[in-house]
Amino acid sequence: MSTTTQTLSGTPWKQGVKDAIPLLGGYIPVAISFGLISVQSGFSVVETILISTFIYAGASQFLFVAMAASGAPLWLVVIMTLLINARHVVYGPNLSPYLNQDKKWLPLMHGLTDQIFALAHARLPQLPEQARIGWYTGAAVLAWFSWIAGTALGAIAGGELTQRWPLINDILPFALPALFFVLIVPRCNNRLWSLTIILSAVTAVILKMLGYPNAAIPLAAMSGAVLFYALKNQRIVGG
Amino acid sequence: MDTSMWLALVSIAIGTYLLRLLPYLWMKRSLAKRQTEDGVGSMPTWLTILGPTMIAAMFGTSLVPTQSDTVSWLATGVGILVTFGVWKRTRSMGLPILCGVVAFGVIMLWF
Repeated sequence: MSTTTQTLSGTPWKQGVKDAIPLLGGYIPVAISFGLISVQSGFSVVETILISTFIYAGASQFLFVAMAASGAPLWLVVIMTLLINARHVVYGPNLSPYLNQDKKWLPLMHGLTDQIFALAHARLPQLPEQARIGWYTGAAVLAWFSWIAGTALGAIAGGELTQRWPLINDILPFALPALFFVLIVPRCNNRLWSLTIILSAVTAVILKMLGYPNAAIPLAAMSGAVLFYALKNQRIVGG
Repeated sequence: MDTSMWLALVSIAIGTYLLRLLPYLWMKRSLAKRQTEDGVGSMPTWLTILGPTMIAAMFGTSLVPTQSDTVSWLATGVGILVTFGVWKRTRSMGLPILCGVVAFGVIMLWF
């Protein structure tokens, strides 16, 4: 990991906003798609926007509206969505060496999504310590607002968009697998991780196609982790 | 939305926030206690493995088209290939996703 400190051309938060702009290409289409699907699932526009504002976690929001609309027990909805978001537990500890004792970091953890984590993990070590909170605020707030705005657009104009261009409803949700792909593909930098990632993804596809969409994510993730340990142990035993 | 649904929403929102906040606080305290500068190595190994495999699993489930026909699968394959191709060139997030969605859409409209 690079620890070279860079000087900033503008204020830290402006630099954070600038660095986070590429994320919008992924956030806005997925948020529009979520807004659309949420309204189609029976949630109002305001409810849909509140879901995006306070849960602020893409995959679990899709699962939340899908399970709620299908009449699943609410305790199961809560458990499943939190299980999906459980991956976030690895993000804070990974960033903590770069964050100071400022109390403002506590509310800012709301913005610690997959994408912001990936961005922050790369950029924070390069920034002077006093610039990090400003940079993170700019990046995280832009991402959060774009998610809320995209959701509102999908929820408000989604019906009209779907009527005019029916295929938009079939096309926009592809931003979700593309987003996850871009997040996971940098991890495939060696054989061990490539096989682990491929097994997890293939297992998830199979389980979903077999009719287990909710169990697919934790089971596939665990199968990948088991393979990782098996291959690693084999390597150690085999020398 | 009835009261129980609001309760579920609030529970998920608070739970998600705590999933992001508490491990950070735990690591911060742990680092302060050890007086070390880099605590990454002291993270439990299973956490570092389960994070990426969860994202890979989400990728897998989101990959399955709503209508599981040949055209949707073809569009999915082309969309991912284009996403990968653009990512290889740019190593960014936004543009590969945008190009992948466009490629997926072109195939869906074409057939």
